[in-house]
Amino acid sequence: MRRSKLLAILLMSAMILASFAGCGQSIKSATTTSEVSSEVSTDEADSPSSSDSVSESSGKYYDPTDSVESIIKDAASKGKVGNWGLGNEYEVQALLAKYGQPITFLSQAFDMDGFDNDTILLASAMTYNELGLVKNSYEGGYGYGDQVGIIDMNDEGVAMLEDNIFCTREFAQKHPNTVKAFLYASMKGWEYACQNPEEAAEIVYKYGSSVSGDHQAYMASEVKKLVETDTTGAPVKDYGNMDEKAMQQTLDLAKQYIQLSDPDAAKKLQSMTLDDIRDASYIKEAMASDGKFGELEKTSVSIQLKWLPQAQFMGYYVALDKGFYKDVGLDVTIIPGGGDIGETTAVYTGQVDFGVTWVSNLIAANAGGMDLLQIAQVYQRSGLVLVYKLN
Amino acid sequence: MENGYLNTKSNSLNVKTSEGTDPNQVKSRSKPELNKDGVTTVIYPVLFGVFILLLWQTQLLHKILGTDTFTLPLPGRIINIILGNIPEILKNVQATVIVAAGGLVLGSALGYLLGIVAMAFPQWGYGGISIASAFTAVPIVAIAPILNNLTKDFSDDPNARSMLAKTLVVMITCTVSMSINAYRGFTELKPYSLDLMKSYAASPMTVFLKLRMPNSLPYVFTALRVSVPTSIISALVSEYFAEYIIGVGRQIREGIVLAQYATAWAYIIVACAIGILMYAILLIAEGIILKDRRNR
Repeated sequence: MRRSKLLAILLMSAMILASFAGCGQSIKSATTTSEVSSEVSTDEADSPSSSDSVSESSGKYYDPTDSVESIIKDAASKGKVGNWGLGNEYEVQALLAKYGQPITFLSQAFDMDGFDNDTILLASAMTYNELGLVKNSYEGGYGYGDQVGIIDMNDEGVAMLEDNIFCTREFAQKHPNTVKAFLYASMKGWEYACQNPEEAAEIVYKYGSSVSGDHQAYMASEVKKLVETDTTGAPVKDYGNMDEKAMQQTLDLAKQYIQLSDPDAAKKLQSMTLDDIRDASYIKEAMASDGKFGELEKTSVSIQLKWLPQAQFMGYYVALDKGFYKDVGLDVTIIPGGGDIGETTAVYTGQVDFGVTWVSNLIAANAGGMDLLQIAQVYQRSGLVLVYKLN
Repeated sequence: MENGYLNTKSNSLNVKTSEGTDPNQVKSRSKPELNKDGVTTVIYPVLFGVFILLLWQTQLLHKILGTDTFTLPLPGRIINIILGNIPEILKNVQATVIVAAGGLVLGSALGYLLGIVAMAFPQWGYGGISIASAFTAVPIVAIAPILNNLTKDFSDDPNARSMLAKTLVVMITCTVSMSINAYRGFTELKPYSLDLMKSYAASPMTVFLKLRMPNSLPYVFTALRVSVPTSIISALVSEYFAEYIIGVGRQIREGIVLAQYATAWAYIIVACAIGILMYAILLIAEGIILKDRRNR
């Protein structure tokens, strides 16, 4: 009897301890995740500790002289290639396939902790966002500096175009003047932002502070490169231009790597042509115009971003802040994205008029039965890289 | 052969009695009436389901809800997707069911154990359980990413450590209802039964094994009726955050994010089927195990 009581006391105390330990942990970690989900805005990993771990474990990573092929083969064989998935993975899969590797990858969180703690050896990163966090040591950065190397999708010939502007085909047909006016003012915003990236970063920071001011400035300078250079590295003068070759490459890769379980959608995807997803006439006419578009069919419009407010979308914030939208007679609302808010769904259902998405996501959405129309291509080259640590 | 013969015989007997004015008439009539009741309780919901399906397939439902065939695809298309992807779906179902069932078993076992502990210390046992029930208030969405991080070092295989993280989430959500119900099962005894045991000078262990444990059995099933659906919901949600991409919940998310609503719906139907099936298994198990008890 006494023994069973003692045993019970022991179990009880273990239970209470466990429950309290669990509570503390969950609160602490819950806050970390919320920080993380807002793109690491607070002082997380401090730079000295992470650089220590690098120097301690030398020989574990890659050398600057290693070929892209050997790095990819090594990381893939260890199953340590990371990507966020959910439609961001096709370029990485194309790259893995190029070097004869299985196209599976780890689900990467929206922070770089997995890369930092070596769960992921070859991590996906956007040049303007995660790569900056990995390299820089400002607030929220991991401070690796030159201790990392990258594999660029453009150099590897597997680039797919990313941020565009789209609406439904029906909306474009019913509101041609509104569409042109919106594109004209938006491109004016992008032009101004690329000429004054620092000011653009400050404007974005003013409208939404999902990341630190320093990181916004870094982002603006990197986004400028994506908007003003094409996949071959040649400069681009026409903002929003849809390069036929890059669009075709995007569509071809999409057909290969977008896996659809729905047989109807899969069939539709394979028979898709560029005309099913884009119409270049709006941006051409808008850019050739003098900024007068006659009577606008709709003056109050909204645009759904793909992600949280950050310099990735600086053109729209600049156009709004500088009054470019007002000048063409538009009242524009910018709606930030984030998480699982599908920009394609939001535009398709008419909650918003315009959206920013990746071309591959638009292709998948149209294959699934939407009728979306790309009206401008803002990013002229892929901003996705794979980042690895150097010994 | 013999059975068949007997059946036909009893049938003819029934017919005979229903025609005549036997005193047995009441008895024989009450039997088919009971069957009729059983049939109608099944038929009405089924008819309603068929009615909804008809509305759905003929797109009247879309008009009522103000939606279109893209956001709410037709049943024919959904079934087509399910039939066309059976191996892929089974792989995901397997991952989800292992997580849900594993977490359910672990969580219920832990909950039962906590119930025993609480029973041993009635003064603060119930209070302790009430505190522990705060765990149910922790949203799955919050604990899933945390457990992912906590289990990082468990294994080099991302599938294995994801499985562990997901199972732990399910376990946590299943523990509390079991511990509360088990505690009630141990303490809410039939009047005088404890006094009777005392009069036998039974040791607390004997009281536990012969009285409390059998008494807790129906309460265990009450807890499981809550836990089984919860375990499936937790498994589906925890898959959203898992490192390794597998499971019915994850496929629903992928389908919706990639604007593949028909595929997402196919997996939603599969998720419903898993839920109904597991609940049905529970009810059957309950029927078999508690059968003697009811007859008594």
